[in-house]
Parts: sequence; C-alpha cells; structure tokens
Amino acid sequence: MSLLTVSGISKHFGGITANRDISFEVAPGELVGIIGPNGSGKSTLFEVISGFYRPDGGEVRLDGQRLTGLSPDRVCRLGIARTFQKLRPFAGMSVVDNVMVGALTRTRDVRHARARALGLLDRVGLGDKAYAHARTLSTGQRKRLELARALATEPRVLLLDEVTGGVDQRSIPGLVQLVRELHRDGLTLLVIEHNMRVITAVAQRIVALYLGEKIADGAPDAVTRDRRVVEAYLGQAYAQ
Amino acid sequence: MTRGLGGVGPAVALFGFAAIVPLFVRDAFFLDGLILILLWGAAASAWNVAGGYAGQISLGHSMFFGLGAYSAALLGTKWNVSPWIALVVGAALATTVGFVIGFLSNRLRGPYFGLATIAFSQVFLIAGSRWRGFTSGSEGIAVPFRPGFWTLGFVDKRAWAYLMLVLAIGLYLIQLYLERSRRGYQLAAVREDEDAALSLGVPARRLKVAAIAVSAALASICGTLWAQYVGFVDPFYVFSVDLSVRFALAAVTGGIGTALGPFLGAALITVLETSLRARFGGIAAGLVGIYLIIYGVALILVMRFAPQGLVPWLASLRRRRPAPRATGTAGAAP
Repeated sequence: MSLLTVSGISKHFGGITANRDISFEVAPGELVGIIGPNGSGKSTLFEVISGFYRPDGGEVRLDGQRLTGLSPDRVCRLGIARTFQKLRPFAGMSVVDNVMVGALTRTRDVRHARARALGLLDRVGLGDKAYAHARTLSTGQRKRLELARALATEPRVLLLDEVTGGVDQRSIPGLVQLVRELHRDGLTLLVIEHNMRVITAVAQRIVALYLGEKIADGAPDAVTRDRRVVEAYLGQAYAQ
Repeated sequence: MTRGLGGVGPAVALFGFAAIVPLFVRDAFFLDGLILILLWGAAASAWNVAGGYAGQISLGHSMFFGLGAYSAALLGTKWNVSPWIALVVGAALATTVGFVIGFLSNRLRGPYFGLATIAFSQVFLIAGSRWRGFTSGSEGIAVPFRPGFWTLGFVDKRAWAYLMLVLAIGLYLIQLYLERSRRGYQLAAVREDEDAALSLGVPARRLKVAAIAVSAALASICGTLWAQYVGFVDPFYVFSVDLSVRFALAAVTGGIGTALGPFLGAALITVLETSLRARFGGIAAGLVGIYLIIYGVALILVMRFAPQGLVPWLASLRRRRPAPRATGTAGAAP
C-alpha cells in the first residue's frame, strides 16, 4: 500500500527531456531519498509532484487521489508540502508570520495559527528568532524556517529539496537530526539530497535518477553500489 | 504584522483631530483642505488594498475612481437617480471591471501588471472623451446639485468634512482588517513571494483577483463622493494617469501596505501642493511651474530619508528611543 504514487511521469522542455517515464511509490511513514547528478531531473520531478509543473505524461496520486493537473495550492491543501532548493522566505515578514501563513491553511483563527507557529518554531530550534525579520536569518536558519513553514500546513508527505545544500558544515548534523526526528514521529518524507553520506544515513530507500530516467530504486546500500549509479556519478572507469 | 506603528493610537489621534477641527474652524479654504486630505487618503487607501497589501501595483486606478464619478454624474443628470444609488452602481461596475482586469492580468507580475492597468485606464479615458452622445465627451458633465442628504448635496462644508471622515475611517478599518486577518497574512505572503505562498496552500490567484476587485469598488466609492463634492466630472482628469499616480504616490510616501500611511501621504501631498500653489502659483509667467519643482524636490527628500514611507520611518524613530519598548502588540517585530 502506498501513500504517494508517481507513475510514468514525463516532462520535456523543448527538446530537452527532464523526466522520462519515472515511476515509484512511497509508503506511509517512509523516508525516501532521491539522488542523481546535476541535471538528472530531481528538481523537475519535485515541481511536478507539487503541482508547479504540469507533466507531459503520467500522473501523481496521493492516497489514491489524483494530484496531476491541480494548482500548487490545491496540492498543498490535499497534503503535500515542499521546501525550495533556492530558499524563498517571505523576507519582509517576521519569522513567526512566515510560519503563520502555512498554519492559516489549516485554521481560520489567527491566534490559533500564531500559537501553532510558535510551537513549530520551538520544534525546529528557531523559538528565539520568532520575532526577527526573516531576512536577518542565516542560510541554516532559513532552512529551518522553510521546514517549519511547510510543517505548519500539516502535510501527509513532505518534499525536501536539498536540506543541507549551501549550509555550512557545522549546521548539517543539526538539520539531519531534525529530519530524522520528523521521520521518527511518523512523517512521510521524500528528500532530494546531494550529500551522499547524509542521504544514505537517513533514507530507508533511495531512488536514483540519471539524465531524467530512474536507474535504481532500493535500499541505500544496494543503490550506492549499483553499477549504473556509480557510472552516473563517477564515470564508466570506476564501475566494476 | 510588522509594518505599522503598532496599535491604533496614532489613527485615533489623527481622526479625532479631524473630527474636532470642523467644530471650531469655519474657514472654507481650510475645511476644503481637510475634506480633500480625507478623500485622497481614502482613495489612496483603496489603492493600497491592491497595491500595498496584495502587491498588485496598479497605475490605472483612476479608471475605477472615474467609473464612480461618472456613475454619479450620468445617473444624476440623465435619470435623476440618487447619488447613493449611483455609488452602489459605480462600485458594482468597478468590481466587475476589477474582476476582468484581475483575471486577464493574473499572470503578470511587477511592472507588467502596472503597464496593463495603464492600458486599461486609457480605454476608459477614450470612451469617456469620445463617446459624446452618452458622456458629453471632453466637455465633461456638471453634477446636479440638489441640497439634502438623499441627494448628497451640502452647502455646509462641515457636513462634507464629516462625510469624508466616515469614508476615511471606513477605509482605515478595512486596511486594519487586512493587517490582522487570515486573508491579510495570505495576501502579504502573495506580495512577498507568490510561488512560496502557493506552496503553502494560499490560493494566490484568487486572492489577487479579489483584492483588485475590492480595491476597485472602494476607489469607485471615493470617485462618486468626489464628483458630488466637486460638482464637475472631466474625463481627462478622472481617467488620467496623473490621478492614478496620485493615489499610488500618497500610499507610497505614507508607507505602502500600512493602514495609516495613505492618509499621512495624502496629507503631506495635499498640504504641499495647495500651499505651494497658493504661494508660488501666481507669480510672473516664467515662474508658473516653480511650485511643481519644489513639490518634486520635497517628494525626493521624503523618498531619500524615508524610502519605506512615513509610517515605517516614524515607527523606526520610535524604536530608536532608549525607552523600553512595549512588545505586547501582536506580531510587532523588532
């Protein structure tokens, strides 16, 4: 039984194929990693699942409900939240106001939304920054803010695009720990990650993409040793 | 949220002052100034609903104002309809036009939206000035003056002052709602980053259209009252880009996206304009435009020293004071 079903997704930009017939499933409570070299179509796939791109073929279902063709805000309300690889905080708003926007998708009560937002900020370790302007946060803190904001929409599946990308080395363990905790608490996650050490440590399963196609899908150990994956990352000479 | 002065104290003081002044001052020139400040402040607030809170910077809002003005003039002269009904008719027309423009320019962002609104307002300028049989063309229309509340004709300027005050307070409260309500937070998110807002479940497209439609209706109401007050509607004025810019300018100098900003901006601009025109307007032919130059310089200075507008500037002055700061206000960021 799967919660998120991606079946036969294809997406072209002019003559370039970003995704070709990609299918996989995510079970409830699973943490699935998506890896692949630059340009392999990971982010495009995220845009398709979250409703920002309309695929040329295939469909995405959440718990049986078709998401393909719906607008991104509908997709979010149905239970899919995402973070952006290039962070997009509401820079002119305070940190807590940022998170409240997410919370207000689930409640009409502003005070209730504020209480929930403050709780989530504590959870991601930004409690003391609640009333700071979002633009004053460091990159690591912004990642946490995006996480809190997305969590505030009460997602059934959370899509994380590069949690550790662009973050200084010292901040990485804390972020990884946070993702682990969310997973432990029962959240279903689909995570794009460049850092192999990070993804093999947290993911239960890994889907590998290369040039827009799925080339491997399985346990982290198996996927990282897969001949085609090694080839894709390091070139043919290393694949034995 | 984070842009205002925090609390309604300053607004109560300002509107209270505007309420007391007509009790003691009978000077027509002064009262006229007060009436226009309140009216332009209300019109700039109407603009602010779309431009400030939703980030839909329109440079064509005169078309909505003009629709309200022409509703009063045409319904009054041709069918003898009460201006109050014209006010509703104008608002309904403006809402419809606002919806159409909102839908058509839904995907346009930033300056492209502004350009589209200029184009739409030019359509109304052409219709107003060329459709002679209906609008009397560029000659304009005199709005019939019939004394009484139902016919919206007051000889006493104090009555106008209080009517405009009610309008102004209404617009202020609508903006306050946008600062503190769920919809207000969602609009602010759309203004800051539409894609991020969408990803958080905010129905950005629908909210943008709704903000434009509401903003249009409010601008139209201001236009109707203005037409009744001034008594004459001229297409080249009510549908002009100048007028659209005036709304935007008042909101921007006062503090875009703040509830009190449009009123402070309108006060600054109206006072500057009328006092400068009174002082320098009548000099020798060569210096006829000098007041415009001073006016321009003054606006440049405001933008140089308070680029966020007067309200955020005043708020920052207050924060700089060493006295302990009240942090009780919901959402007031340091």
